[in-house]
Amino acid sequence: MTYQPCTPEYAQCAPDLNDVAASLVSTHATPRALIKETREVVDLARRFNKEVVRPYVLELDRKVHEDPDFLPWDFVKKANDWGFYTMWVPRLFGGKGYFMHSMSAFVEEIGSACVGMANLIGVHYLGMATLAATWNAPLMMKIFRDVAAGEKAGDPRIISLAITEPGAGTDVEEPDLIDKGNITCHAKKVDGGYVVNGTKIFISNGHLSKWHVVIAYSDLDLPSQNTVCMLVQTGQKGFSFGRHEKKMGQRACPASELVFKDCFVPDNMVALDPEQIKDLKRDAKHTFQQVLDYVLGATRAGVAAFATGAARGAYEEALAFANETEVDGKLLANHEWAQCMLAEMYKNVNLARLAYMETNHHNASSGIYKSMLSKGMFQFSKYAPQFFLDKIAPALVGNGLTTKWLRKQSFDSQPEEELHRTSGWGSLAKFSGTDLGMKNCHMALELMGQAGLRHDQRAEKHFRDAKLLQIYEGTNQLNRLNLFKCLISRACPQSCVFHDA
Amino acid sequence: MLCRGDKELKLVDGAATDFAAKELAPNREEYDQYPFGPFWDKVVKKAFGLGFFHASLPVELDGMGLGLSGLSVILKSLCSQDASLGGMIFTNALAQEIMLIAKAEKLFEDKIAQQKDAFGFLLAFPSFNNPSEVRHLAQVKKTKQKATLSGEVPYVVLGGLGSYALLPACQGNEQDFSFYLVDLKGKGVSVSEPIFSLGLHACPAVDISLDKAPALLVGKEGKGKEYFDKAADRMHAAQAAMASGIMEGCFAEALAYCKEREQGGREIVDWSEVKMMLANIAIQAKSAEMMLSRACEAADNNQPKWQAAARVAAIQASAFACEAATDGVQVLGGVGYMKDHGQEKRLRDAKQIQALMGIAPMKKLKYMDSLLGKG
Ligand SMILES: Cc1cc2nc3c(=O)[nH]c(=O)nc-3n(C[C@H](O)[C@H](O)[C@H](O)COP(=O)(O)OP(=O)(O)OC[C@H]3O[C@@H](n4cnc5c(N)ncnc54)[C@H](O)[C@@H]3O)c2cc1C
Ligand SMILES: Cc1cc2nc3c(=O)[nH]c(=O)nc-3n(C[C@H](O)[C@H](O)[C@H](O)COP(=O)(O)OP(=O)(O)OC[C@H]3O[C@@H](n4cnc5c(N)ncnc54)[C@H](O)[C@@H]3O)c2cc1C
Repeated sequence: MTYQPCTPEYAQCAPDLNDVAASLVSTHATPRALIKETREVVDLARRFNKEVVRPYVLELDRKVHEDPDFLPWDFVKKANDWGFYTMWVPRLFGGKGYFMHSMSAFVEEIGSACVGMANLIGVHYLGMATLAATWNAPLMMKIFRDVAAGEKAGDPRIISLAITEPGAGTDVEEPDLIDKGNITCHAKKVDGGYVVNGTKIFISNGHLSKWHVVIAYSDLDLPSQNTVCMLVQTGQKGFSFGRHEKKMGQRACPASELVFKDCFVPDNMVALDPEQIKDLKRDAKHTFQQVLDYVLGATRAGVAAFATGAARGAYEEALAFANETEVDGKLLANHEWAQCMLAEMYKNVNLARLAYMETNHHNASSGIYKSMLSKGMFQFSKYAPQFFLDKIAPALVGNGLTTKWLRKQSFDSQPEEELHRTSGWGSLAKFSGTDLGMKNCHMALELMGQAGLRHDQRAEKHFRDAKLLQIYEGTNQLNRLNLFKCLISRACPQSCVFHDA
Repeated sequence: MLCRGDKELKLVDGAATDFAAKELAPNREEYDQYPFGPFWDKVVKKAFGLGFFHASLPVELDGMGLGLSGLSVILKSLCSQDASLGGMIFTNALAQEIMLIAKAEKLFEDKIAQQKDAFGFLLAFPSFNNPSEVRHLAQVKKTKQKATLSGEVPYVVLGGLGSYALLPACQGNEQDFSFYLVDLKGKGVSVSEPIFSLGLHACPAVDISLDKAPALLVGKEGKGKEYFDKAADRMHAAQAAMASGIMEGCFAEALAYCKEREQGGREIVDWSEVKMMLANIAIQAKSAEMMLSRACEAADNNQPKWQAAARVAAIQASAFACEAATDGVQVLGGVGYMKDHGQEKRLRDAKQIQALMGIAPMKKLKYMDSLLGKG
């Protein structure tokens, strides 16, 4: 057999170290303070698990089974008291200034005890990250400082993100599909703002949030070029909650329907619309894709971190069972096949973690964390005097010029390959982490037999919780296709994605 | 396929399919609720009236004498809509099977067969455990006249409903165990609240505490393992039938949804990755159905090594059902994860069914032992 010479195109696509080994390329650049911070938040999460999550996890799950409309305000208040809703908000905007990078390790920890509760904290940052990715500084100042004020007052003011519609789930996650989709959430431009009509479904933490980052479209025939991202407040005229879904798992975290009927959103609450970005290098569709990619690169790594938590929770329950149960006359942990199964589960946990960590390295070198981790910015945001940040900086940041400058810096300077890298890796971490999470839950129940079926043994809850992770933030199918699109398709010059015959 | 042209089986299949469509499917979410409601009782009574709890009992014991094929046909059809009733029928049939293998027909006639009420007729049994694997055994104390049981037996299915439970027990540290019939309303027996479980919510189980509870020996002393293993050999086919039913329902719901739901401007069935998921479910469902059919045929005709066919069908069909039901949720996206659709329940039920009669990987090892001539 003779080898075919490889085509020049293919040769160009041979893996670039920047594409495949972010940790190698970027670990030396990781600030020491970030490593210290990660240790700190993991310790904090462990303490929170011990004092709050573990004692309450089964009771809360039962409560929501008994009363599907129950809302866990008590837990959200606790998380607020512990300072979790401002932990990863920059100090400039009133937060504690931890870097989003360390949040994955935090949610993995909480997720190992309860993914539902991890979501009650983590989803807030999905909303936060989306607003941050629009680089709308005045609006960030307003909303994040309100969250911080809510923390001080003991009154949680958390943020949700509303994209999914009844007729469009996958379609609204993918700008290449959206124009073919059944999109109905309309934002009509009027004097001084937009009037919104339509429905959003499955919105995590909806009923519990004060602020909702809502994605609507000013032209339903061409939504990709007419996306509007705005902030809506609970209680605002024209906005109400619909049904509260009855889910298989993650019962702690409500999934809500949001209903908009002639809901007026003033211009100052519009985070991003085509008008605001018309001077940028890319058109509105591609800029919005960039916002999505910035956010999803980070939040899909976050979902992989939840999944690592679920994989770990399942593994830990199985291990405890193997340590205390005799099967066929000897301790289960002494059966070789069980040892191999536990080793597989241990491996799955660590592979899932590696996937999200590697993705976060990509986010740091090429994605949403890049500008925040640049030397000057990191030092400034970490060590600038609080007085300056509270009293002087808001005036500087709160005007439109800063927003313009920030957008130019982040949107226009990001090359296409960085976009592809972070988006592709976000997807890779998401579907591999969540598949490994689900795999461990299956294995735990197989190993534990009858005991695994009982609610009081916790393994079955991890199983129910983990399934959702394969669905939201884009189904794993969509994420595989996105990985193909971002990182593989250039090796298949004739391919096109989402044009299946 | 399971009916193989048998008219009687076809009739039974028709009755079970009809029952599943009319009685189970419309109220699936309600029956699955926690805390468990009383609405389920009428369904159980109707199923009792139709003879579903008598399917594999021999005619001499007032049963329908339909053998494993009959039981499997019923379980498969019911489980395609809602597996909880299947779990009850399975548990009851497993306990009946043990009593028959133990040649305890007389005891069965005296205590169980004469019960006219559905719940009285139900035999409770810890059907998710193999007592020689994980020794959840009561302690037996014997005098000349009577035996009493003490201790805890966890996860006794139907323990909060039936009048009698068939429980494994041993004396002191003895390796061998025996089966005893215990009057659940009798003295020395206390049952927990229904256990909150992953799936099969309407097939409730309880933990049983025994304090010198009077008990009647079933069959011979020390023969518990032999009786259980023989009964399990037969009931493996029934386990495969439940898994197979779940996959059938899972595929039907997935396909119907994919023909209706549009994304990217077309029915999602027209995205080839979705079609691939559907194909995997369909292939797993069909394979399970073929294995089940083969296992029932072999068992009912007492063909050589029929036990192997049944065991393989149970192991493989229940593993397939777990995979297929996971994809069955996935195909529906977010909707699949919600309780108002059947798919999420099928996933929970499939995983629960995989644990019937013991730990799944141990079933594989036992199968290998049988090939090595060690089992
Ligand atoms: C509990 C829960 C919480 C959620 N939280 C939020 C939230 O906070 N905010 C928010 O905006 N959304 C949220 N979602 C929505 C979530 O992101 C969507 O459910 C998800 O994107 C899938 O969309 P869908 O459910 O409409 O499925 P569909 O898009 O209808 O997909 C159905 C099936 O078809 C497949 N499919 C669809 N199109 C294609 C294609 N082109 N190629 C191949 N396969 C395809 C999918 O993979 C899936 O298997 C949540 C969902 C759930 C269930
Ligand atoms: C192409 C090739 C190149 C090699 N190069 C080298 C070399 O350069 N230098 C060198 O020293 N060796 C070399 N090896 C040998 C290699 O390391 C051995 O093949 C390997 O360690 C397995 O040993 P084995 O083949 O004797 O298999 P065995 O040890 O006989 O194992 C047979 C099977 O039993 C399983 N098994 C055995 N014991 C246990 C147990 N306790 N628990 C569970 N499962 C068990 C194994 O996993 C395996 O599946 C090479 C082998 C090959 C095929």
